[in-house]
Amino acid sequence: MLKQDLIEKNPIRHLKGESDAKESSRMGLVMARPGVGKTALLVQIALDSLMNDKQVVHVSVGQSLDKTKLWYDDMFKDIADGCKLENAGEIHDSIMKNRMIITFNESKFSLAKLEERLHDLVQQNVITPSCMVVDGFDFAQTDRKVLEEMRELAKTMDLQIWFSAVCTDGNECQCASGVPAPCKGMEDLFNTVVLLQPVPQSDCIDLKVLKGSAAVSKCGKLLKLDTRTFMIREDCK
Amino acid sequence: MRDITKVRNIGISAHIDSGKTTLTERILFYTQRIHAIHEVRGKDGVGAKMDSMELERERGITICSAATYCDWKDHAVNIIDTPGHVDFTIEVERALRVLDGAVLILCSVGGVQSQSITVNRQMTRYRVPRVAFINKCDRTGANPDRVIKQIREKLGLNAVPIQVPMGLEGDMQGLIDLVQMKAVYFDGENGDKIRIEEIPAQYKEECDIKREEMLDAVSMFSDELMEAVLEGTPTEEMIMAAIRTGTLSMEFTPVMMGTAYKNKGVQLLLDAVVSYLPCPTDVDNFALDLDHEEAEVKVSNVSSDPLLALAFKLEDGRYGQLTYVRTYQGTLKKGDSIVNVRTGKKAKVGRLVRMHSDDMEEIDEAGAGDIVALFGIDCASGDTFTSGSDYNFSMTSMHVPAPVISLSITPIDNKAQDNMSKALNRFTKEDPTFKTYVDQETLETIISGMGELHLDVYVERMKREYKAEVTVGAPQVAYRETITQRAEFNYTHKKQTGGSGQFGRVAGFIEPMEEGEYEFVDQIVGGSVPREYIPSCDKGFQKCLDKGALVGAHVTGVRCAINDGASHAVDSSDIAFQLAAQGGFKEAYMKAKPVIMEPIMKVAVEGPTEFQGSIMGSLNQRRGMIIGTNEEDAYTVIEAEVPLSEMFGYSTDLRSLTQGKAEFTMEFATYRQVPKSVAEELIAKALKNKKQ
Repeated sequence: MLKQDLIEKNPIRHLKGESDAKESSRMGLVMARPGVGKTALLVQIALDSLMNDKQVVHVSVGQSLDKTKLWYDDMFKDIADGCKLENAGEIHDSIMKNRMIITFNESKFSLAKLEERLHDLVQQNVITPSCMVVDGFDFAQTDRKVLEEMRELAKTMDLQIWFSAVCTDGNECQCASGVPAPCKGMEDLFNTVVLLQPVPQSDCIDLKVLKGSAAVSKCGKLLKLDTRTFMIREDCK
Repeated sequence: MRDITKVRNIGISAHIDSGKTTLTERILFYTQRIHAIHEVRGKDGVGAKMDSMELERERGITICSAATYCDWKDHAVNIIDTPGHVDFTIEVERALRVLDGAVLILCSVGGVQSQSITVNRQMTRYRVPRVAFINKCDRTGANPDRVIKQIREKLGLNAVPIQVPMGLEGDMQGLIDLVQMKAVYFDGENGDKIRIEEIPAQYKEECDIKREEMLDAVSMFSDELMEAVLEGTPTEEMIMAAIRTGTLSMEFTPVMMGTAYKNKGVQLLLDAVVSYLPCPTDVDNFALDLDHEEAEVKVSNVSSDPLLALAFKLEDGRYGQLTYVRTYQGTLKKGDSIVNVRTGKKAKVGRLVRMHSDDMEEIDEAGAGDIVALFGIDCASGDTFTSGSDYNFSMTSMHVPAPVISLSITPIDNKAQDNMSKALNRFTKEDPTFKTYVDQETLETIISGMGELHLDVYVERMKREYKAEVTVGAPQVAYRETITQRAEFNYTHKKQTGGSGQFGRVAGFIEPMEEGEYEFVDQIVGGSVPREYIPSCDKGFQKCLDKGALVGAHVTGVRCAINDGASHAVDSSDIAFQLAAQGGFKEAYMKAKPVIMEPIMKVAVEGPTEFQGSIMGSLNQRRGMIIGTNEEDAYTVIEAEVPLSEMFGYSTDLRSLTQGKAEFTMEFATYRQVPKSVAEELIAKALKNKKQ
């Protein structure tokens, strides 16, 4: 498979919005219980942007640099192997140049710092991201205001931002309607909210779109992810 | 002879400047091997005992690992002080090979730094059980808890503190031992008077919690302790035994703390070395049986068995060549004859000494598990000695990384020329990562090694120890060439000169291979190339690998296969086929789309957050690929992969950019293809050099 095919075939596009036109200044949220695959989906979203020769900032709260880098290397390898990508090594080297990881200690994360960092990056001409994924952001500890500021940031920097959030309450995860805690009542800030749920006795993960654009609902609101590559399966029933 | 269970061979390794040498100095003082403490960069100008080399004292770093010996509470402790700088990795690796246990020192402020990760990885490779010591707790910003968290996260060790500090930074008073539940103070000018008291009330609660955590963690290793904890009656012996079991299995890392500079916690660390680190019989060491295809054989550690000893370090001291050996089994006796397995040569043990940095102590024999030094034995480092030629074992070959940087040296006069070759001869024997050769085209002597500092030190040593003044060329990066696609060749070498001519034809292909440097494949069927000339073809190809046609760099990752050919009854010869193979290789090489590869270094820059932008800019300018940043309190660590060729002079740039507040470390990461523009430049330069 060639790189171009992979880009076009990648069903993650459904999630990210219909076309490139409205990609910027969107906010997305991936929710799941621990260990289901939030990080994997975020990395997948980032990789898709990278494949499109866009630049990505990966903000990781509480995870080390090496670990985050490994996520990318492993996921890329899985995807490349999975769809027999040609020139995988070369593509890997070339797209990873467009990725930048910023890690924070759990207690040290602050929006102001992140903003400063991003401005630094742009100013020094290191990277001009069009997509940012934020992994490990603690929604339980933050109030609405921070997220509103994030939205502002997304707008001013022309960024697409994706967050991950841990569903704290197992029961609420089961309920299909509404956005579970800790993000309850914040859904208006996001353009897309998805919930990941493992399907018992299968190699699939359900991707429930709790809030999303029309492009997603065309697919029938219930997508399935392959657990290995986290590519959204095309046979989305 | 000593009881082997009371011997400890330990190493001390850590990041640069986290205080290894200072700690060793304190250990020697408390074990009464030395009677005054000299600081590494002390004002008295004596320098630390362990940094015996003039250059080491001047720069305040340790270059060669020094071996020393001391007694602590009826145990014999051999200590190898290992260098911290990445350029001297081979010294660290070699030292680890002969150690049974190690102390991993971490700075309480800096925490787990890049070098700690490298060292930790090396220790894991050689299965060295370790205890961690968080040093410099007196420094501003000391935070042992954060360091412990880092050890868990970054090094993946199950690190659990067995001490609690009483106060940190300037007002550190002492430590609380969680095993005994006692407070320990270090009195006296040099902290040599230990005072044990009850735990002060304000620490009581914290200690109870931490002890609970520790017991939870160690009771995994002892059912007896687990039961005792449930009943609420764990004894000191039980806890210590469990910690020891856990440490030896490498599933538990006890963490101690203190400050060597301010004389706190060193004695407790020595106690821990004796109590928790293994004796030679606790660890399994393996030898390779050369008679049975290098099958692994466990060494016995018994002093009455045949001798098996490894020379792990050579030194050219003022008393002649000194060889450090570790005996794995058998006894090394004065007057015995031993055999060097590599050369098969016999040698007689003359003087046998126990080393104490640069003083020594004569001994008559050394039993299994000991580390001693021999005089007047001719060998290279890494050689194995046995008691007889019928006992054909070798200790495992050590992992030697390939050099990534080289420079030319030219002696200033004839006298220097002689001295230089003497020095080079010595250094290449001592250090397998240091290589030297004469460039056939320019007739210059080239030295190559692991980094700028590495080569710097050797040039400096040449001057000081051998009085060989040399002028040094600009450092050159060790580029490599490799091919990216398969290409065929069909070449006939023919030469008719009066008498017997030369004739050979070979056909086949070359193709890239993922791993390994070179492979020769013989696919000849039907004898189109006579059997006896097949090795000639192999030889011919190998000759082509030294200098690639692009920039004259070493060619790697090539599989050469021959599948057809022709010979002549009279004119074919070994040399004819070698030349035919070379011709074939040259014919196919350019068709195989060769590319230039360059060494890429993993660079980590640590600096105050406010300089982060400019540091990133500087890395970006140097074709660096910034992988990411990590925010710590007031400073940031930036990790990047940068081509070595762009890193020359970076330390100066970085210093001026950050007012000297940032520092960087780098280590070899991988070889990667150079970008097109740079490749063109290199090719043009190579062409120009050729014409001259």
